[in-house]
Amino acid sequence: MRLRVVMLCAVLALPSCATPGSSGVSADESSNTLVVSTPTEPDSLDPTFADTFAARLVFTSLCEKLYDVDNSLRLVPQLAAALPSTSKDGKTVTIRLRKGVRFNDGTPFDAAAVKTTLDRDRTAKESARASELEAVSRVEVVDPATVRLRLKHPSAPLAAQLADRAGLIASPTALKRLGENFTTAPVCVGPFRYRSRVSGNELSLVRSPYYYDRNKVRLSGITYKFIANSSVATANLQSGDVDAAEHLDPSDAVNLESERGFRVLRSKTIAYQSLSVNVRPDAGTALSRSADLRRALEMSINRRALNAAVWNGQEVPDCGPLPVQSPMRTEPSCTPFDPAGARALIKRSGVKPPIKVELMASTGAATQREAQAVQAMANDVGFDVSVRPLDLVSALVLARSGKFDAFLVGWSGRVDPDGDTNGLVTTGGPNNFAGLSDPKIDDLVAQAAATDDTKERARLYAQVDRRVSAHRALFYLYHNTWFLGTSRRLHGVDYRPDGIPRFSTAYLSR
Amino acid sequence: MIEFLLRRTGTAVVTVVLASIAVFLGVRALPGDPAVVLAGEDPTPEAVAAIRHQFGLDKPLPIQYLDYVGQALHGNLGFSTQDKAPVTTILSERLPVTLELTFLAILVGVLVGIAAGVASAVRRGTAVDYAANGFGLFGLSIPHFWLGLVGIVIFSVHWHVLPSSGFVGLADDPLGNLERMVMPALVLGLGMAAVVMRQTRSSLLSQLGADYVRTARAKGLRRPRQVGHALRNSLTTVTTVIGLHLAALISGAVIVEQIFVIPGFGKLIVDGVSSRNYPVIQGAVLVAVVGYVVINLLVDVAYAYLDPRQRTAGGAE
Repeated sequence: MRLRVVMLCAVLALPSCATPGSSGVSADESSNTLVVSTPTEPDSLDPTFADTFAARLVFTSLCEKLYDVDNSLRLVPQLAAALPSTSKDGKTVTIRLRKGVRFNDGTPFDAAAVKTTLDRDRTAKESARASELEAVSRVEVVDPATVRLRLKHPSAPLAAQLADRAGLIASPTALKRLGENFTTAPVCVGPFRYRSRVSGNELSLVRSPYYYDRNKVRLSGITYKFIANSSVATANLQSGDVDAAEHLDPSDAVNLESERGFRVLRSKTIAYQSLSVNVRPDAGTALSRSADLRRALEMSINRRALNAAVWNGQEVPDCGPLPVQSPMRTEPSCTPFDPAGARALIKRSGVKPPIKVELMASTGAATQREAQAVQAMANDVGFDVSVRPLDLVSALVLARSGKFDAFLVGWSGRVDPDGDTNGLVTTGGPNNFAGLSDPKIDDLVAQAAATDDTKERARLYAQVDRRVSAHRALFYLYHNTWFLGTSRRLHGVDYRPDGIPRFSTAYLSR
Repeated sequence: MIEFLLRRTGTAVVTVVLASIAVFLGVRALPGDPAVVLAGEDPTPEAVAAIRHQFGLDKPLPIQYLDYVGQALHGNLGFSTQDKAPVTTILSERLPVTLELTFLAILVGVLVGIAAGVASAVRRGTAVDYAANGFGLFGLSIPHFWLGLVGIVIFSVHWHVLPSSGFVGLADDPLGNLERMVMPALVLGLGMAAVVMRQTRSSLLSQLGADYVRTARAKGLRRPRQVGHALRNSLTTVTTVIGLHLAALISGAVIVEQIFVIPGFGKLIVDGVSSRNYPVIQGAVLVAVVGYVVINLLVDVAYAYLDPRQRTAGGAE
């Protein structure tokens, strides 16, 4: 029972009579409404334009996709009735849909609705989905429960794209009514439907009466609360003001785990951390000119020590982009931690130490700790690393324009390996921060995307990995473990390797 | 007086115009093309170009500025790039929240600060004085962030007497609103209370040593009445300090709103900067600038009304 602060409200001419943050839910609903804290706020809630991790998190409750991934990163049908069937030439994909499904405005979900969304995704001017559906040339309605995609070229990653944001289907009725303002009242198929949003504070969803699996949904609603700081989110969880805190820092997670009344769920995710070295011809740094120096830098980094010192040993040290769950992963060959070897390489390079390197890293506390750890390790073998903290947006701008020496940056990872390579190591890719330009890599990535044969793709991605490694421009450090702190009252959460907790079957015990 | 008013209003208008140019250019000087930011992790050139066109970022800067001013004069500050909501609507929701927080923090600062300052001055050299001075030092040196977290741990986690975060509108649930605002107001007001305490103490001590108080004492006026007279005269300086501390309160609110997840003006600006939400940053900063200019104008007018000498040129400096 909280202390009700008795004050003479009437005599205080307080200016705030606005209602941000007011949820307006009844007591019964409130007691069965899950409150989840998340460190970032979604951008748009329009499937065509949404582009943040936080939006993906909310969509799992609000907006279902044609496909989803299971704990082994295998595709499973969600709004589709079965996995897609692809023609022999790889240029026609047929998708059968669930029948009897309704959007959260009561209108039917069918092939025409899928076509409406996919066409909008492909053609809307500012669409964030256009590049994901680049292979699709036409969407055809075969019958109300079947959609056929005609492709410009075979595309193995397409199915995985349909298990991500490109597979989110919006209600055509709501799209027609709201147009570009769909984000203000999004309507999809999902266990919960949109109730309200207070920018900068919280987003509320309420159980949908139209959801096809509504009997399994036990919560009356979900409120996502945006709490940027992990320690503050942990304190909110401990005080009972939130029931689950997503994406906790490892130190907070470890501390929370030792307390009664709480549990910490772990997700060994597909996200990874890497260090990009600028190797553009015009970079003009010692590192950009000498592969030996870059190798020395990598040899100076002790991945296990980094994990222990910064992340309480919770991450998964690794040397490649593909996660352990991926069926297309081949065990990467790691450059061993070897400070003596690094010193020898520096000596051989002829460059007189200390070798100045500016390491750019975003301003988050943990990332800064990590940058300082890398700095200490590199300085130990003859580098003179200075850490340049920048907000992520600014850092990305500098990285994309090649105005940096080295950049410590993460990637949220993709289910299909194409999403971890195409655009990240291919020539001119928007996230190819190192500035790698190797036609052979481009060719291998394109080949891997054009075949459905898993073994062949694994072989091709192994070759990509080896060539990237040979350039010594991109060092993969570890795959992230993410933490969901929860009250012990909360049950039935499904926390998958994509790092997104699913709450559709969750419930709160008394 | 009319000439003075016209002169001051003219200066205020010029200040707002210059400030609007500074805000407009300052926002664009931030590293990071908002079109690229909005286009997401895998931006295509077409998407970036379309976004640039949608927000008018492909026009020359002077045209962008004139568009912006033209719309602002019609009460249109644009739309948030994040959720497409009108910036004026967002500001009308957020500003009152921060005003309430600031108001409550001032209340805490004034009540606690003056009470502690009076106690400290009246009981100079006693344990009360030392305790009040200790409080002053504590209040001045403790960062809001740390204090906020400690407050949450004590009052929310261990004692469960106050919520750790969130906000409800005063009109919707007055007690719920105050329940959520108590801790943020205490955290934000503590620094001000420390400043006010120290100012009250030194000012009151000075007044208590003045001739008129000695005369009053010699005439047999009782101690509480002596302190009352001296306090009234001390409050002029204290009031000035409170006024000067307002700007610090607003910047402190940025931190406090982050810790307690209060959807206020400060959090809006911080979130706007990190997502390069140009319309929101421009609108929020412009409103803040206009607010400061208007308050200063009113203060100048009030001074001129109270003291006619201020009406002459340069008199109100």
